[in-house]
Amino acid sequence: MLLSDIITPELFASAVRLATPIALAAVGASICERSGVVNIAMEGLMLIAAFSGTAVALLSGSTWLGVLAAVVASMAFASLHAWASINLRADQVISGTAINILALGTTGYLMETVFGHPGTTDPVRTIRPVFDFPSGGSGALATVWTWVDTVLFSYTPIVYFGMFAAVFLTWALYRTRWGLRLRSLGEHPRAADTVGIDVYRGRWSAVLASGFMAGLAGANLTLEQVGSFTEGMTNGRGFIALAAMIFGRWVPGGGYLAALLFGFADALQLKLQIFSDVIDIPPQFFLMLPYVLTVVVLAGVVGRAVAPAAVGKPYKAKG
Amino acid sequence: MRARMPDAVRDSSADPDARREAAEHRFAAEQERVRRAISVATPFISVAIAVLVGSLVILAAGKDPVAAFSAMFRGSFGGVRQIGETLLRATPLVFTGLAVAYGFRSGLFNIGAEGQLFMGGMAAAWVGVMVAGLPWAVSVPVILVAAGLAGAAWAFLPALMKARIGAHEVITTMMFSYIGRYLVSWIIAGPFKDKGAIPQTPMLPGTSQLPRLSDVFTFIEPNRAHLGIVLGVIAAFVVWWILKYTVLGFEARAVGFNPTAAQTGGISVAATTVKSLCISGTLAGLAGAVEVMGVHHRLFDQFSSGFGFTGIAVALLAKNNPIGVIAAAVLFGALSAGAGTMQLDADVSQKVISIIQGVIIFLVGAEMIVTWAVGRLRDRKGGDDAAQ
Repeated sequence: MLLSDIITPELFASAVRLATPIALAAVGASICERSGVVNIAMEGLMLIAAFSGTAVALLSGSTWLGVLAAVVASMAFASLHAWASINLRADQVISGTAINILALGTTGYLMETVFGHPGTTDPVRTIRPVFDFPSGGSGALATVWTWVDTVLFSYTPIVYFGMFAAVFLTWALYRTRWGLRLRSLGEHPRAADTVGIDVYRGRWSAVLASGFMAGLAGANLTLEQVGSFTEGMTNGRGFIALAAMIFGRWVPGGGYLAALLFGFADALQLKLQIFSDVIDIPPQFFLMLPYVLTVVVLAGVVGRAVAPAAVGKPYKAKG
Repeated sequence: MRARMPDAVRDSSADPDARREAAEHRFAAEQERVRRAISVATPFISVAIAVLVGSLVILAAGKDPVAAFSAMFRGSFGGVRQIGETLLRATPLVFTGLAVAYGFRSGLFNIGAEGQLFMGGMAAAWVGVMVAGLPWAVSVPVILVAAGLAGAAWAFLPALMKARIGAHEVITTMMFSYIGRYLVSWIIAGPFKDKGAIPQTPMLPGTSQLPRLSDVFTFIEPNRAHLGIVLGVIAAFVVWWILKYTVLGFEARAVGFNPTAAQTGGISVAATTVKSLCISGTLAGLAGAVEVMGVHHRLFDQFSSGFGFTGIAVALLAKNNPIGVIAAAVLFGALSAGAGTMQLDADVSQKVISIIQGVIIFLVGAEMIVTWAVGRLRDRKGGDDAAQ
């Protein structure tokens, strides 16, 4: 086993791909929490989206219709969270937990009702990468091209959308009126209300935005990567995304970069498992890696990362 | 304005301010009474609404909800064997419910009880085999203590991270949950694997098992309920006593109620956080132990069907009251025991019970929803009263 066997362009591309569902959710959660609403339901929203996307893609034969269904289903469940936590001022963590359990139950139930069996669905045609450049000959230049092509141009549309969303929303959060207003909702909703910002409406749109991103995360997972749905397949990614959001200090771009770290750890452990005959470590320890990394990251950074002041606190509009 | 003034003066005969104040006072008291009543009624209303939602879901799939729920009832309370099965499934839920409830009482959300349960199960499976040869009265307490410690240990790091740097326990305990599951998956396939191909630990000796109730009290018809349910009831009363009568419990409640006030009052929030989450972990660890000692007598990958997560629903439904946890655990135990019969007799996927569970959490957690619904009903019905 050589280092060059491990450090390949494919390793980095795989890191970006594996990071994408986490990154999309982290970006969405950043927006949501900036508005003052904790969204612990990202895990469940992703799961609902993953199922709806696969089911609609299988039944209709159109993968893009599947993406649409994933986003719509995720946003529908997100509006349940918004209604409970904004209008009814419920405990946001509990409302989120309810949605996570509801998602697990609903997808399991629908799986058995629609497809007649538990476990995994039939495979669905996955979305192709956006670019398809020819690989160029041999020599040093060709090696460079392989790296560039694989690391930059090998991805599917939602992966690129994730990158774009992270950059755009980071800019928008600090450079636009929308961003300033959003941040004010999470820092001091009473003050925002006083100057005429509609707190409920602002928070609703932020929660729906996070539902949109979670929907894309679920669609990316099933319709661009795995190609089928398995019960409970999100496997904690929604929670890792929250850790990424914190690591990224509630800035969309930061959340994206933190997710890349998790994606890289995941890609590395998958790669290392191939060499299990050389490295004599049980596979379970590799599988633990992303979760251990999350804990380590939280232990190292949380003390210095400051959450939006009013996050998790219900707001009661006067009158 | 000026023209209407005399009317107003004439109407409020004695002292207008006093009258208004009295009326406002009455109104506030009435509001408070309604709020209390709704708060008490919420768990019951929530279960009713959840069953209704479940029925709609069953109906949407083209199945008969009445047949489904009556099959579920037969499967959970239809006879001694069925009641035994309900109690069997309620047993771990009493412990995980207590674990989550204790956390909530001290302001902590132990969403990772599942991982602590796995650690407790692992300790029980290991120590249970180690103490072979010791008399039952010695080995059972030793195993329980070991499992409790294992659960506490698994909660300790998240607790420390919460106390020291404020890392949210929802994320850390969840991550430890995944780590714990992979650890168990390795232990049962590697260092502590039984002979044979199946990844599981060796069978516990008889002296490390919790006997069935029907084996101890032979007048009961044979059923699978085991001594763990008795331990669970004892644990519920112990937790109730800790919360109500000990300094430990008082500090936990104080921090849960208002950490700033507790700190000002001289209670160390950090120390209380660590202690509370570790107690919560202990209870979750015991859940794993009773499941291993009473049901499977060994450890394998699927020995828990998400008891840690159902514990959240149990705690919320019980409004974090330790005695209420027993009742809520029996309810969820019955749902789980009856689900099989429902699937068999009414051809309804048993996953519908996790939908019911989710709706219950949503409704109890968001008590405002019930308040809102009741308020709307009252508005419609009591429109005339309000006008007077």
